[in-house]
Amino acid sequence: MKINVKLIGLFQTGRFKQQELDYPVDTKVQDVFADLQLPQQHFGFALINGIHAARDAVLAEGDHLVLLPLLGGG
Amino acid sequence: MKFNTKDPAANPAGIFYKRGTIDLASGEISMADVPCRNLEDVLGGFGRSFQDLAGRKIETAYCDENPLIVNTGLLTGSSVMTALRTYFSGYSPIKGSKVGRPAAMWSTGSGKFGAKLKWTGLDELIFENRAEKPIYVVIRESEAGPVVEVKPAAHLLGLSTHAKIMALQQDYPDAHFAAIGQAGENWQNNYMGAVALSTENQLKSKEDKCRFAGRGGMGSLMGYKNILALVAQSSDKPGKLSSAVKRANLNVIKGGGSARIQPLSRGGGGGTWAAYDVLQEFNAVPLNNFRPQGNDLPEKLFRENVECEYDIKSEACYRCGITCHNNISEKRADGSRGEFLAKFDYEPLNLLGTNLGIHAAGQAARLIQLGDNYGMDAISLGVTISYALAYNQRHPQSTILNGATFGDYAKIRELIIQAGEGQLPQIGQGSMRLSASLAETAYAYHVKGLEIAAYQPETNPGYIWAIAGGHMSMGSYGLLTREGKADIESWVKGITEDKLHIVGFDMIGLCKFFDIAKGIGTQMVVDCLKSEFGFEVSIDDLRAAVRRAFLRGLALEFRQGYTKAEFCLPAEVHENPNPHIKLPNITSPEFIAELEKRVWQVFEPELVGLLD
Repeated sequence: MKINVKLIGLFQTGRFKQQELDYPVDTKVQDVFADLQLPQQHFGFALINGIHAARDAVLAEGDHLVLLPLLGGG
Repeated sequence: MKFNTKDPAANPAGIFYKRGTIDLASGEISMADVPCRNLEDVLGGFGRSFQDLAGRKIETAYCDENPLIVNTGLLTGSSVMTALRTYFSGYSPIKGSKVGRPAAMWSTGSGKFGAKLKWTGLDELIFENRAEKPIYVVIRESEAGPVVEVKPAAHLLGLSTHAKIMALQQDYPDAHFAAIGQAGENWQNNYMGAVALSTENQLKSKEDKCRFAGRGGMGSLMGYKNILALVAQSSDKPGKLSSAVKRANLNVIKGGGSARIQPLSRGGGGGTWAAYDVLQEFNAVPLNNFRPQGNDLPEKLFRENVECEYDIKSEACYRCGITCHNNISEKRADGSRGEFLAKFDYEPLNLLGTNLGIHAAGQAARLIQLGDNYGMDAISLGVTISYALAYNQRHPQSTILNGATFGDYAKIRELIIQAGEGQLPQIGQGSMRLSASLAETAYAYHVKGLEIAAYQPETNPGYIWAIAGGHMSMGSYGLLTREGKADIESWVKGITEDKLHIVGFDMIGLCKFFDIAKGIGTQMVVDCLKSEFGFEVSIDDLRAAVRRAFLRGLALEFRQGYTKAEFCLPAEVHENPNPHIKLPNITSPEFIAELEKRVWQVFEPELVGLLD
């Protein structure tokens, strides 16, 4: 299935900003995270179609997935 | 401090802190070993100072009865990473209730002054009354204990924060410094004066790399008292690094808690600056006085767009491995590093950049530098100016001040200079007073008289209960954006249980980046206290002390005349919801009414008797 993946901030380094990628059915958010070899310690949160989603949320054909690093103020 | 007990929660009176009291009117200086009243006293910082402030009935900030309390936290100066904090407390010139009484306030910063102060043997200084002429105060160690001397400071008058520190370093090469700028000197017209704290980096490089205790105008209170600077002179006594503290320090660095703040080059997140990228995904980066427009303008100050033109160097506070500073310098034609400009943290960068319509990094850096040199709180300064710019945008035929509008760098710069010089009370006295004088308060972005941080209020109703400024005394700024919580239950729990614990760091002497998500009620802190002082103290003890201290802050707000109606967000948030912010609406009048009801149901019973 096609998933439109957008990476934010440091996740883009050496990768891409936004790309359509192919994944098998039942792929979860964390699978995409691992597939892209994103640094685990920086995983902040994910949005599926603009809604906050858990790491084990299952993706569906055509989903727009955004992966964001942690947010910290100061 | 003197420790005659290992159980600070059950027997706080067995612990004594060293307090110096300076009567600036008479010149009398006294020292005392004061027994602690409770665990908050032992921890220090605002946990102790607010109890002392509660003992005074203060009607106006600029009065002799309003003390300036300078203290440290229990761990300040220890070998625990980030243990550098100094606290400045008093009744605030800028934050106040509508009946005109000032709110109790504290402000804190790192730099090495706090550690040096602790190493002199003194834990707290209380400045009473005011000096007739400008002075600076030297605190030094001696074999007989800490010594305090008051010295004339006419030669420092009119100098910037950095220039004062540089001048003092000539006479005290082994010391560290806390200094106000011209803004604090012009306290009558500038209520947002900050206190600059010297850093090792600054003293070695001679570059203006101070840290700041900015919030609440403690620099203006210091200026009112005619204190231009403090000098802490002692040998370095960082202490032996125990295995427990070493483990804690390693955990701070490797455990992931500070990962987002560490340098990109070390696999970190690049500092607080990175909040730009995250918040922009929701169109929630404040722009043009907190009215994001759903466009890509904020991206101009993304790191990736700044580093092509400017040199970015990751640097750290003394003995801190987090290395959170992103110091921006000019980049020469050959690519080498040029003149140092400013440190890019999210708050000042946004509030003196994007939120003023300034999208050029060099211009934003110069405005940050200017505000720092004059010694003004970047948040209050930026937000008050953005209010003035918004007013001018709405009233093109009858503008105020110099007619500045969003993006007009030259005129905004002029406003900062005039405010810093004490020539522009409209800016210097903050957005609450300016908006009230213009009878247009709806888009003045302050809560309870103190300007909000660079998180849209639409994303953070927790601002309402923050006791010392938006994000650093109520850690709810990520509850919607990061955690996706848009239900009442989560927000009630967040405000009344979890997120208030961020203030614990403002007691114990540690920077919030030590463990910003969890606060000080952790095994890591328990282990450090056991190792450093032999304390048998539990996580529950620490959490209870932090909660009491926070609630005391709320109780003090009511004591100073705040009504519940003043616990509110800027009216524009409800009256004209921003359609561009891509997050659930949690600031509708109905949501806020329910949240207020539920939060007060929890807090109110606990406030009874807290100030007795």
